[in-house]
Amino acid sequence: MTAVQFLQNFLNGISIGSVYAIFALGYTLVFSILGIINFAHGAVFTLGAYLTYSLAVGQFGIGGLFADLQLPFHFSFPFALLTGSILSGFAGVLVERCAFRPLRKRGADPLLALVSSLGVALVTVNVLQYLVGSEIYSFPSDVYGDIRPAFVLHFGEKLVVIRTVQIIIFSVCMVVLALLGYLIGWTRIGKALRAVAENAATASLLGINVDRFILYTFFLSGFLGGLAGSLVGTSFGIAGPYFGVSYGLKGLAVIVMGGLGSIPGAVLGGMVIGLAEAFVPSEYSAYKEAVAFAFLFAALLIRPQGLLGRSHIQKV
Amino acid sequence: MSMSHILQADRLSRNFGGLQAVDNVSFTVEEGEIFGLIGPNGAGKTTLFNLITGLTPVSSGTFSYRGKLLTGLAPHCVAGQGIGRTFQNIRLFKGLSALENVKIPQHSRTGSGLMSGVLGLPASRHEERVVEEKAWELLKLVGLSGRAVELAGNFSYGDQRRLEIGRALALDPKVLLLDEPAAGMNAAEKHTLTAFIREIREQFHLTVLLIEHHVPLVMGLCDRIAVLNFGKLIAIGAPAEVQQSQAVIDAYLGAE
Repeated sequence: MTAVQFLQNFLNGISIGSVYAIFALGYTLVFSILGIINFAHGAVFTLGAYLTYSLAVGQFGIGGLFADLQLPFHFSFPFALLTGSILSGFAGVLVERCAFRPLRKRGADPLLALVSSLGVALVTVNVLQYLVGSEIYSFPSDVYGDIRPAFVLHFGEKLVVIRTVQIIIFSVCMVVLALLGYLIGWTRIGKALRAVAENAATASLLGINVDRFILYTFFLSGFLGGLAGSLVGTSFGIAGPYFGVSYGLKGLAVIVMGGLGSIPGAVLGGMVIGLAEAFVPSEYSAYKEAVAFAFLFAALLIRPQGLLGRSHIQKV
Repeated sequence: MSMSHILQADRLSRNFGGLQAVDNVSFTVEEGEIFGLIGPNGAGKTTLFNLITGLTPVSSGTFSYRGKLLTGLAPHCVAGQGIGRTFQNIRLFKGLSALENVKIPQHSRTGSGLMSGVLGLPASRHEERVVEEKAWELLKLVGLSGRAVELAGNFSYGDQRRLEIGRALALDPKVLLLDEPAAGMNAAEKHTLTAFIREIREQFHLTVLLIEHHVPLVMGLCDRIAVLNFGKLIAIGAPAEVQQSQAVIDAYLGAE
């Protein structure tokens, strides 16, 4: 591999890796509070992509109940992205209310929420399919306005092409990561969240309304999921209502790789998986996911608790 | 119901399956009292604390604070009424600093919304200063102000116990529930702790409920003592009275 090829792969890798990171953070936040995986996260990812698409483009495709429907308005891309992600945050809140809270209140085994969240995921995906059909939705190339679609760097004969959408994805993800870091590290919401994550019962005895913070967590998680879905959608198109499924699995790989419940771990894991995929030669690109998961297995053999996870020696 | 009692337990019961962990327990606690709760292992003392603080729902019976019913309230609402507690197995937020540990209970009480905290609005910045000041005072009180930014998990056992009391005080409690505060302490530390509990009772006008195994400490510190055995209240009264009770002697030494 030449240095130029390396640079190209590296840039591709950190761009997609940054989306994996914010998507996986959605899993991590819920996991750190409730100790379980929210399997509806991939469905919220898909939902977010469709929401942003419909808000930005203002019309639907030829399948489903919404076939040929025109919205009376459409937003600029940044505003559509923000609105779509916020609505996805509320979808996350609904997931908590439907799939998690009723079971928690009845004292059910936390593992049951895996199944109920999977149920919510399937219902969401099926409703989406009913509404928007199963065709591919691609964002129009002028969705960002007048910005040119790609930048080309010349290295003698060789070229490195950076698509504008890759820059947008990377920048948005970095801003979101910085804001999230501030929120969790420096604000009282973040401190209370960390307290609830460490021990919900103790936090409640210190006056923290745990249910409220669980709702906040699901909102944040849904926001991150919807944002990630929207960004992936703008880059690669929305390959139908099931396109969140493979990203959902990949997100799981990311958090396991980084260490369950670890926020820096999710970011690092996202970058590692993104880069691992980017360095798969293009003739084998159909096997990208296998390579990413092989990486995961290799990493887990060396560090079973994940790259930045804490080992569970002290817990008995 | 007499209003002079600050706390009143009325036929409190809790069973876990077939096990009657707390069985028809009634007692009252007067304002400003240090009230001891003793009994053999598994007598239901910690379960009683869990019932009072709302962590475990009651099977039947009621518990009230100044005539206000606490049973049925969520734990954070009970805490909001001014009831703080510590744990037998210390439950600090080990991943947070000592300072953050004593700030958290205050945050849930301060007025301005969480959003204004996120945005750093002036009102919440002012509150943050008040919270910060009080946090330092409490750390000084428990003798840990020199180690405020260290993670709570790195503290020694005794320091963690003191920090946990400091954190409970950050709630501005009127009632403080201490679950085996002297566990694992040596004689000198127990002596200091006894003085410390008396001191905070005066300073914060507290009523203290205390679970403790170390009998000399309980006898010396408490105004009154209740004895539980197999979930039942078998004696209640001044330390000297309780010490004489045949039921208590039987419970500890085995009957017959």
